Amino acid sequence: MNPVLPSYQFLPAPLWLIDTLHILTLTLHLAAMGLLFGGVMVFFFGRAADRWDSAVVPLIRKSFPTLMAATITLGIAPLLFVQLVFPQPIYSASIVSGWFWLLIIAALIVAYYCLYAAGFSKSAAPCGKYLAVALLGMVYVSLVYSSVFSLAERPDTTKALYAANQAGLAFHADHAHWLLRWMHMISGILAIGGFFIRLAGQKDPKASEAGRRFFLGGMILAIVFGCAYLLVPAGVFQAVRGGPALWTLTLAVLLALAAMHLSRNRSPLWAGLFLFLSMLGMVATRHFVRLALLEKHFRPDSVPVSPQWVVFGLFLVCFVLALGTLYYMTALFFRATKATSK
Amino acid sequence: MNYPFWDTQLPYGPLMGLIAVVHVFVSHFAIGGGLYLVIAETAARRAEDQARLAFLRTLSKFFLLTTVVFGALTGVAIWFIIGLLNPTATEALIHNFVWGWAIEWTFFLVEIAAAIVYFYGWERLSARDHLRIGWIYFAAAWLSLAVINGILTFMLTPGNWLASGDFWDGFLNPTYWASLVLRTGVCVLLAGTYALLVASRLPADRFKTSVVRYNALWALGGLLVTLPSFFWYFRIIPAANLQAATFMVYPLWSVHGSLLFAAALAFLVLVFGCLLPRRMHLSVALLIMLSALGWFASFEWFRESVRKPFAITGYLYANGLEVSRMDAYRKDGLLAHTTFRTGDDGADLFRHTCRSCHTLRGYRPLLAALDGTDPAFIAGTIRGIHKLKGNMPPFPGTAAEAGALADFLHRRTDRRPLAEIYRLEGTALGRKVYEVRCGRCHEFGGFNDKAESILGLTEKDYDDLLKNSGEIAEEMPAFSGSPAEKEALIQYLLSQKPGGAK
Ligand code: HEC
Ligand code: HEC
Repeated sequence: MNPVLPSYQFLPAPLWLIDTLHILTLTLHLAAMGLLFGGVMVFFFGRAADRWDSAVVPLIRKSFPTLMAATITLGIAPLLFVQLVFPQPIYSASIVSGWFWLLIIAALIVAYYCLYAAGFSKSAAPCGKYLAVALLGMVYVSLVYSSVFSLAERPDTTKALYAANQAGLAFHADHAHWLLRWMHMISGILAIGGFFIRLAGQKDPKASEAGRRFFLGGMILAIVFGCAYLLVPAGVFQAVRGGPALWTLTLAVLLALAAMHLSRNRSPLWAGLFLFLSMLGMVATRHFVRLALLEKHFRPDSVPVSPQWVVFGLFLVCFVLALGTLYYMTALFFRATKATSK
Repeated sequence: MNYPFWDTQLPYGPLMGLIAVVHVFVSHFAIGGGLYLVIAETAARRAEDQARLAFLRTLSKFFLLTTVVFGALTGVAIWFIIGLLNPTATEALIHNFVWGWAIEWTFFLVEIAAAIVYFYGWERLSARDHLRIGWIYFAAAWLSLAVINGILTFMLTPGNWLASGDFWDGFLNPTYWASLVLRTGVCVLLAGTYALLVASRLPADRFKTSVVRYNALWALGGLLVTLPSFFWYFRIIPAANLQAATFMVYPLWSVHGSLLFAAALAFLVLVFGCLLPRRMHLSVALLIMLSALGWFASFEWFRESVRKPFAITGYLYANGLEVSRMDAYRKDGLLAHTTFRTGDDGADLFRHTCRSCHTLRGYRPLLAALDGTDPAFIAGTIRGIHKLKGNMPPFPGTAAEAGALADFLHRRTDRRPLAEIYRLEGTALGRKVYEVRCGRCHEFGGFNDKAESILGLTEKDYDDLLKNSGEIAEEMPAFSGSPAEKEALIQYLLSQKPGGAK
């Protein structure tokens, strides 16, 4: 006879709470990633080193490693929560593409060091190469994420791919599904990057003009690819039509349009807020679409809940303390800059 | 088995070990280094020692690049790899400890931000504020160790959690405190050795003497905390874990190895750190680093290997099979519970039951060990796999599945007789037959020694023994070798003296 042992198939907090935390932290991760990845793209394709004012360029370049730290740190929490809620689909999809998945780490390490190399460099000359490598690394990571997470919404494809290849060399076979999703993502990222450069390069008309163009262009592309993603891959449209995704999507699109409008009227703070809220809506949509696509295979609300309230409370306390400390440290830092620059 | 198995040519044990050791080596430095920086900075500021401050600044850049980038990402790498290699264990850990991880994450946020502000703040911030940031960094870094330590130690000693399922029973488990003290000592030790490495590049003058001596004291201080707490830790490990490891080469080697490394470390630090500090060349500092790495790696290796056959002691096997579901697997068959099947049942069984620790040829090769045997013997071995030397999990399937796995393996072995494969005859052949067909469960003078009942019998007794070998124990395969092998085995056993055999 087997001993009676505690089960691990439970959720240590109500599902809505975990989902909320997941959506919130994922949006924060995407925002940081947009600033970084989009920022590097605009910096690179906008030919910052040749064209922009020299005072703004090193400032932006120096912010990249820190943004990378923020992106990675903020990425940990949503990955934790999504693995908690959807263990089967997520682990399985990442195993099927195991090699690609694992190489994410190598790509990140390379990209990270390149960003530092570019950030620490005194002249502009070698930065292009470093940034290009960093950009390639980030493109790789984003491609694999799009492919693995869209594969995770297709358990049957995951199974078929595994039956054909067990070595972790399979890539999501429904190319329209993950490629359109990736292109939609990357356009959105480009828009955020444009927004960032516009803000960070306020003092330099060329930089802020480049930022504005990339912001608008990215937005338009994101809408185009978003529509294609909605219509082309099987099941996505149905997943949106029937459920809450329709509302979150509509809201997100309206918020995005509002952000575009506000950015024209030069109120960047409001535009940024609307942009962030729009992303929150997109991430929520993504969440509902996944639920709908997985419905026949797996329903998270069928997993028993057995809350660990004390530990959760401790987490909340630590989280608030952490935010306070972060605020304290940044305030110290920026106040000091002002003091010395006087 | 809800998950596919990532089937590559990689040796998973060493791969996991390598990444874990690299990460742990950097992340413990990330903690100790924080403490080192603030304490050394306080002293240097008080003495207005500009040279020392410049040294600390260099150190902090090196520190930022190793900890924030490499430390953080290798940590993520471990998470990615365990998710690939043992998704069930990862799932179980995350479900039980997600809030622990979430707490660790809040410390991690602060830690990373503080490291960045500290580095960029050398000039911008006032001395007092800069030191404050340093202390915040250290506190956050150490607290994140205090959290992750609970989850790490849980895997070896889940303690009362196995009965209660309570978060705190699992988290504050029997080895929690000893491990925390041990690891804190390691942090201090590593801070000293990394700082020695940076200091070794200084020109050999009075300044170097003082910096090197100072760093050496850190290393020695860390070692002084680490060694006693290692024995404390060792003593708390349940007897069952240690006993299972008694006859295993690696755990034993790693305990002895770790002490040797520690001795080498102490010697080098004493001689080149305290007595001849100006001779602390880069090569010596690297040697010190290597001994520290060796000591810590062997400790981690030991910790991993005494846990075998489990990933979580008493709860989950290293191949991802849950202890609580073994009866169901044995009754319905493992395949009936396997979600990801490929059409080749033997291969699927191999992947899910053996592959996490073995390859066919290569790392811990299975085929070489089974060359010259037959399907019945292999199937019998599989059914009794937990009785072999090696602390393996029991086979979780039906007899038919053991047969399917045996066929899968047998088809790939060298199917010539042992005599031909190894070119042996007489008692030498007999010794080989014993080694292959008996010795993995009964080693003379070693693992599960049965010399007392096996040696010193007559030829007739042996003949009977082998004839009835199928009835001795459920987990013991019947002797199914050829008549020639049987003859050779008996000759070999007759030639061995009872008691004194090797
Ligand atoms: C938890 C890890 C683990 C799993 C799972 C595992 N083994 Fe092992 N196995 C070992 C270790 C460790 C050894 C001992 C190697 C040594 O003595 O150096 C070993 C030894 C063996 C040996 C003897 C090899 C020799 O050269 O002496 C055989 C045969 C074997 N295993 C078969 C299997 C089979 C068949 C399975 C699957 C049903 C399996 N093992 C599953 C860890 C494992
Ligand atoms: C797969 C493992 C395995 C193999 C291979 C194996 N045995 Fe055993 N044997 C056992 C187990 C299990 C027992 C029961 C006692 C125990 O648990 O140690 C046992 C018991 C015995 C006993 C009874 C001794 C006593 O004191 O209990 C003898 C004799 C014996 N084995 C001889 C052999 C011989 C000879 C061979 C080779 C032809 C052999 N065994 C191969 C697992 C094995």
